[in-house]
Amino acid sequence: MKIAILGMGCPKCKMTEQNVREACKALGLDAEITHVADPKEFARIGVRITPAVVVDGTVLFSGRVPDVEELKEALGKFRS
Amino acid sequence: MLDVLLGGVTALKDYVATHVLTCLVPAFLLAGGIVSFMNREVILEYLGEQRSKVVSFSLASVASFFVAACSCTVIPVASGLYFGGASVGVAFIVLWVAPATNILALTYTGSLLGVSLAIARVVAALLIAFVVGGVMSFVFRKEQLHPSSEGNRRPKGNILEKKSAFLLLLVLLSLLLPNYLVRSGPYLHKVLLWALLTLGFAVYAKYALPPKARQEWIRETLWFVRLIFPLLLFGVFIVGVVGKLLPETWIRTWLGGNGIRSSFLATLIGAMSYFATLTEAPFVSTLMKLGMGKGPALALLLTGPGLSLPNWLAIARVFGGKKALVYVLTIILLGTLVGWFFGNFVFTP
Repeated sequence: MKIAILGMGCPKCKMTEQNVREACKALGLDAEITHVADPKEFARIGVRITPAVVVDGTVLFSGRVPDVEELKEALGKFRS
Repeated sequence: MLDVLLGGVTALKDYVATHVLTCLVPAFLLAGGIVSFMNREVILEYLGEQRSKVVSFSLASVASFFVAACSCTVIPVASGLYFGGASVGVAFIVLWVAPATNILALTYTGSLLGVSLAIARVVAALLIAFVVGGVMSFVFRKEQLHPSSEGNRRPKGNILEKKSAFLLLLVLLSLLLPNYLVRSGPYLHKVLLWALLTLGFAVYAKYALPPKARQEWIRETLWFVRLIFPLLLFGVFIVGVVGKLLPETWIRTWLGGNGIRSSFLATLIGAMSYFATLTEAPFVSTLMKLGMGKGPALALLLTGPGLSLPNWLAIARVFGGKKALVYVLTIILLGTLVGWFFGNFVFTP
């Protein structure tokens, strides 16, 4: 599974990435995590407010930093 | 040397003693509330629609007031609008208005520097916004992206629930009233009024909001505290040091009065250096005590948080160098003019 974190390097985006990594670790997920910093790409995906977490093309969170628990729940649904 | 550092420490001490409770705490709570309660997606959906210039520019100006209280989010928001189909004018209005005069910076300016400068800040920022929007649309009229108008008139959600709107109003009052009503007398009076109002909205929040919304609110507020508070303290310290280092005569000569040169220099300082949201107010306050004129002060308040060198580069990277150049030059020109105009014709000397 591919997880993209959308953001232009602001502290919130870094926090989001950290939380995603933590959640993946906790779930034992082997995900490919990338950081997307190009706003043209944001528009193409349909995200208006960063930070955002996109999993295999689906926007899971946008506009706020999701905490590890939320991420575990949301990512867990995607695992199957 | 010691004297200079002491200046910084004194400034910091004064600032912490008289501003943290009655200015910063409510300001952070307000910012957190706006971010967690307002549905910014809906606001942006309205902005993305094709409308006449007057309507879309006005909408963009008013919406930016509430969209981003933090300057790090405004570039992605503006570029998202642009690449999502909004006009180039609208995108740059958002880019300008959100940091230059968002509701947070505005209430804070008012409580620190007085009502007249706060009002001038809004009026001037909106004037500049319209001109910037017009200039950008005119210069880049050929480049306008024409998105496939899918005719997506899907129903939009509410921007703000009634209960949370009322709560935000209460928080706003707790920020404004102590600073405007209690203008003299001991600081304790301010604190008492503030405590009373804070208790009021805390009780309201407890009964009117579901626990999840409250948690979200507190979490966003803490984000602002963590992001801005260290920068603010550092900024105030630097301002204290600068105030000691710069001779008053120097400031009087270069930034005093309301001449076009003072205004231009103030604009340039503001346009190049980075001010985290809110730090521009104590900076301007110190410079004014040392003799900066009101017009240049306004110019600095506007361009300080709105533009900075790193910000130029980011805009150039996202929108292209030509647009960044036109934008920055327009802002510097307008900032200078506005500072000069307000200094000479609006603020009576």
